[in-house]
Amino acid sequence: VPHWPAEWGGGMSTAEQVVLYQELAAHDAPRLVLAFVGIHHAAATLLAAGTAAQRRRHLPAILDGEIWCQGFSEPDAGSDLAALSTTARKVDGGYVVNGQKVWASGALHSNWCLLLARSDPEAPKRRGISYLLMDMGSPGIDVRPIRQATGESHFCEMFLNDVTIPEANLVGAENAGWQVAQSTLSAERGMTMLELAERLANGFRWLVEECARPRSGTDERPLDDPVVQDRLAVFETELSGLRALCRDVVERVDTGRAGPADASIVKLFYSELLQRMTDFAVDVAGLPTHTVLHKPLSTGWESGAWMLDFIGSWEWTIPGGTSEIQRTIIGERGLGLPREPR
Amino acid sequence: MTSASAFAELHDELRTVARDLLAKGPTPDRRQIADAGWLGLEVADDLDGAGATFAEVAVVLEELGRAVAPVPFLGTAVLGVGTLNLLAPNPLCDALLRRIATGDRTLAVAGIPFRDRDGVPTRHIPVTEPVGFRVERSADGARLHGTAALVVDAPDADRFLLLADDPDGPDAGPVVVVVHGPDEVPDLTVTPQPLLDATRRVGTVTVDGVAVNEAAVWRFAGDPQAAVRTLHDRAALAVALDSLGVSEAMLAATVAYAGHRHQFGRPIGSFQAVKHACADMLVQVSVARRLVTTAVEAVAAGAPDADRAVAMAKSYATQAAVDVVGKALQLHGGIGYTWESGIHVHLKRAALNRSLFGSPRDHRRRLVPRYLAVAPT
Repeated sequence: VPHWPAEWGGGMSTAEQVVLYQELAAHDAPRLVLAFVGIHHAAATLLAAGTAAQRRRHLPAILDGEIWCQGFSEPDAGSDLAALSTTARKVDGGYVVNGQKVWASGALHSNWCLLLARSDPEAPKRRGISYLLMDMGSPGIDVRPIRQATGESHFCEMFLNDVTIPEANLVGAENAGWQVAQSTLSAERGMTMLELAERLANGFRWLVEECARPRSGTDERPLDDPVVQDRLAVFETELSGLRALCRDVVERVDTGRAGPADASIVKLFYSELLQRMTDFAVDVAGLPTHTVLHKPLSTGWESGAWMLDFIGSWEWTIPGGTSEIQRTIIGERGLGLPREPR
Repeated sequence: MTSASAFAELHDELRTVARDLLAKGPTPDRRQIADAGWLGLEVADDLDGAGATFAEVAVVLEELGRAVAPVPFLGTAVLGVGTLNLLAPNPLCDALLRRIATGDRTLAVAGIPFRDRDGVPTRHIPVTEPVGFRVERSADGARLHGTAALVVDAPDADRFLLLADDPDGPDAGPVVVVVHGPDEVPDLTVTPQPLLDATRRVGTVTVDGVAVNEAAVWRFAGDPQAAVRTLHDRAALAVALDSLGVSEAMLAATVAYAGHRHQFGRPIGSFQAVKHACADMLVQVSVARRLVTTAVEAVAAGAPDADRAVAMAKSYATQAAVDVVGKALQLHGGIGYTWESGIHVHLKRAALNRSLFGSPRDHRRRLVPRYLAVAPT
């Protein structure tokens, strides 16, 4: 957790983190798939808005392997997340939660969940949401995996039936959960992107190797085709831009100069670059890549199982705010364009 | 001026002054830009210059692009001073630098080879294509022959730095021959070549047996091939900076227009189709800015991998500018297509920048040799 403050076990500078992620990527180190939400989203939320007791309870536990998931989206609250209808009814000493959550990555294996629920049904939709920490061992939680386009079942849906959450697990003020989620999500994005950009840069090296492999049954290499060479040069250029952009965003977050759309710009550019690169890799790799039925365990979004990587690229253009939502955020918050009527 | 924040402050000040000078009234003339210190930015302190680096020149270049200003800066400040600073020390060269800084001389540099035998300018393949000019030595002295087309700022120059092959000279590689303008040297002709982009002036420079005094043949201090590549990088990065400025200006203009132009009872910027197009422009501009900034740092520091950073910046930023201006024209609707809107000026400049000093494809080809060394695993 190099991006955490030193007192909790982190303390690396941006430059040091870049080096660390480069090395991890270069050695093809396994990604901490299940730990991802804990070390990034949960930690950022607790550090920004959590109580001292919440931090003491969870930050060391996350280091010890406590697994987290995110209970944000609902069947009728996707891009319009603030329309969520899961309720948190105030009772003596806590809340009773009812509703349905979806797309919760890793929920089947999680110990804890970052939950957004409506605590004031009368308030305007962004002002009646509370941010809660839900123990996944609580009675009344039913988790069912959802099979994805890749064939894996990492996402889950969650049915919450009279789940009790103690008041001590409220993050930030009651009904201020939307603001907590907004402020931590965007700041967090730069950090996660730093790692992903270095991983993708490493993936580019595999792509070049893929291009250097003779097409089956011939000694003809895609790499000798000037069109392929040019596409590779385009990707390398875009990757260099992405990596510089990520470093810049993280530095701006660190120095309090972050722009309101910085995170969206990075996410949009990363996800669409990933999709273009994996699409091209599938084209270059040809028929054999369609026979690769499984990705190696704990690999990233550019595992070299190119067809599965290509399918998986939509996991970046849809979750966490679709590309369309990102463009709206960039237009409205980054450029100050008029909001659409809503 | 050592800390990063001191540099940032200097840049901010330079930027503010530049924006101000370019925004008000008529285009500044040579005297005004010399007084602003722009021509002598990279001229040494003791030669009346500012002793600054390409990082400061970069600030001016971006602002010139933002204003699509018809200011002859490339020929003198980027290529002229850039060439002179690469030469072996010589008093005549110092005198010329001093007069550039004071605004008394305007330069054009001709004969920079941009392609090697295979059409690729790259550090891995030596530049072998003959340059445009050639020194011929005989019993009655040395004479210069040759021609170069589309030489930037040539119509306004009063001194020409011609990169010439000197096969009988003491060293291999091109030399720099300094020739006075056509007013003084009848055997040098400059034929202005009108361009669709009326903000830039180019011309064909021809010398037909100009007598060359040995004192006018200047040599590079280091490896001439490396010097030529440095010039090439400076030229390419200069237009990348110009394109970045053009893009930023057009994005700002489009956002402003989309915010106040109403159709269907709403500002058009509230429609997703328009808003998302603007968002894409901002993403492209943001990526271009990072690539260009990285390249400027590399060139200003003389980094060994500067050529790679420049190739990326040039190929991305100049294409991005054409995309951004094209989208700006589209989003301005019918008014955007009028002469009066002025968007055509940006489009022509952005497209010229893309072709000038190596196309995006040319620059990407400089990246390719490293891929070819990869063995399949």
